[in-house]
Amino acid sequence: MKRATDIICVFRIQLASMRREAGPFLLAALVFPSGMYLFASAISGGGVNHEQNPLRFLAGSIVFSLSLTSISWLGYLLLENRFTGRLKLFATLPIAPSSYVFGVLVFALVQAAMATTALLIVGRAVGVRMRPNFPLLVVVILLTILCLCGLGVVVAACARSFSQGSLLTDTLGAGLVFLAPVYYAPEMMPRSLRMFAQLLPTTFAAQAVKTTLGGGHAIGVELLALSLMAVATLALGFRLMRWREE
Amino acid sequence: MTHALAYAKSEMPATVRTLETRTEEAPLAVSVRDLVKRYGDGTEANRGISLNVRRGEVVAILGPNGAGKTTFLRQVSTELRPTAGAVSVFGVDAVAEPDCAKRMMGITPQEAGVFEALTVREHFEFFARFKNLAKREAREAAHEVIAELGLVNETNKRVGALSGGQRRRILIGLALLGHAPLLVLDEPTTGLDPSSRRAVWGVIRHAVDRGATVILSTHYMEEAESLSDRIAIIAEGRLLAFGTLDELLARLTRSYRLSYRDPFDPTGDFRVRHCASFAEAQQHISRELLSEYSIARASLEDVYFALTGELFDQSETEASR
Repeated sequence: MKRATDIICVFRIQLASMRREAGPFLLAALVFPSGMYLFASAISGGGVNHEQNPLRFLAGSIVFSLSLTSISWLGYLLLENRFTGRLKLFATLPIAPSSYVFGVLVFALVQAAMATTALLIVGRAVGVRMRPNFPLLVVVILLTILCLCGLGVVVAACARSFSQGSLLTDTLGAGLVFLAPVYYAPEMMPRSLRMFAQLLPTTFAAQAVKTTLGGGHAIGVELLALSLMAVATLALGFRLMRWREE
Repeated sequence: MTHALAYAKSEMPATVRTLETRTEEAPLAVSVRDLVKRYGDGTEANRGISLNVRRGEVVAILGPNGAGKTTFLRQVSTELRPTAGAVSVFGVDAVAEPDCAKRMMGITPQEAGVFEALTVREHFEFFARFKNLAKREAREAAHEVIAELGLVNETNKRVGALSGGQRRRILIGLALLGHAPLLVLDEPTTGLDPSSRRAVWGVIRHAVDRGATVILSTHYMEEAESLSDRIAIIAEGRLLAFGTLDELLARLTRSYRLSYRDPFDPTGDFRVRHCASFAEAQQHISRELLSEYSIARASLEDVYFALTGELFDQSETEASR
């Protein structure tokens, strides 16, 4: 019970902190991925030659949005808390570091839910044909967020300075999307990168989101990969996030 | 300034004996044994510090910058793991069971940030919930602390709109929430104006009246003299002295302070000479034909100087007056 209260309090603190930034947040969560959707559509010929392209681009934009939310912005938030001394406030309290991380994770999940919903509305508005399998889509988004948030936590815990950390989270947030076959087919990648790219969490996430948006449910491999990666990154994140210094 | 201050054990005055008896009788709140903190680069921030703090006591930690005060407090508050030694908080091994020990503490770190977008009330209510208070209790605790800290007019203001001193008071208030039996305050009044500082002293005294034990570090002699039952002086990671103000003063063999202006340098700064007796000070005045002078009993500042060999930061002392 105490742990649940702690998690909710951390979440509410982050939520209250974001009150004045909700507008810019939604704008950023929409503008970048929507812009990428339009850009990808334009350079691919507007989806005239390939029926699957709009769905791929929408899935890619959702994953891009999740990556921005989980790694770049969550990482930034954690770094800000750490390097402005706010983390010390939590460290002085009788709460577990994991409660703090979970509280921030819940906050990231809410952000992701808002951004994904907004992008689905945009997708409908621009005429993307989709039959979303919502229960599965929720599971995919949840696992993707957990996995990518784990990376954000690791970077925030390891960074030696705020600028170093934010550079890393920005690079990872965008890099993991553009180095993975998210907006384009894997065959279009250089052969040397293909193997590496296939193992990125964003690759599994994009494939799973695309399948569920199309009404499919054959995403067992993707779910398994995302689950394993989520466990690994979060376990590492929890290990590194400690109140007590040595 | 005269540097020749000798230290010797002298008989303890009766008042000191009374206080000592009182504190000796109280059970231990904090026990620190041979505390050592050695960093990776070999720096020894604490070198075998041992001291006991009794329940209901206020102990001030004084020392020059870099003396190891903050390291000491961070180890007591479980934020930093000691290299060696033991810390016990109300009988709980704070090194082995930091979470358990932390439940009994209210902590104000030297450098901590606040959430600028939250209001003052939100800060206290949220953080009270972390201290296991139910919603209603948290609301009441927040109101109580806001009133105590004189922040009633700022209750619904965003913390980002407050002054540095008001933010510092919020950090102190967070430690007070939930009436923790031990308060560990690292330079709680640094950066506060004199009236805010006195208000915080009142808050600390009120907490002590309710039964809290307080360990605080400070840069202000006046704060240590005014607030604390006992004073620990730390320099270069070692505990140089620990006792009541009277005990510390009683150890000075030259316990009179003569401040004077050199008659051959009438525009120069005041000089200080420590004398063994009032008569010795008067003799010096006659011999040197001094016309501008004052004689006073030695103060904590003199003890500090005698022990650390460093002048106290005058600007900070002045600022506190």
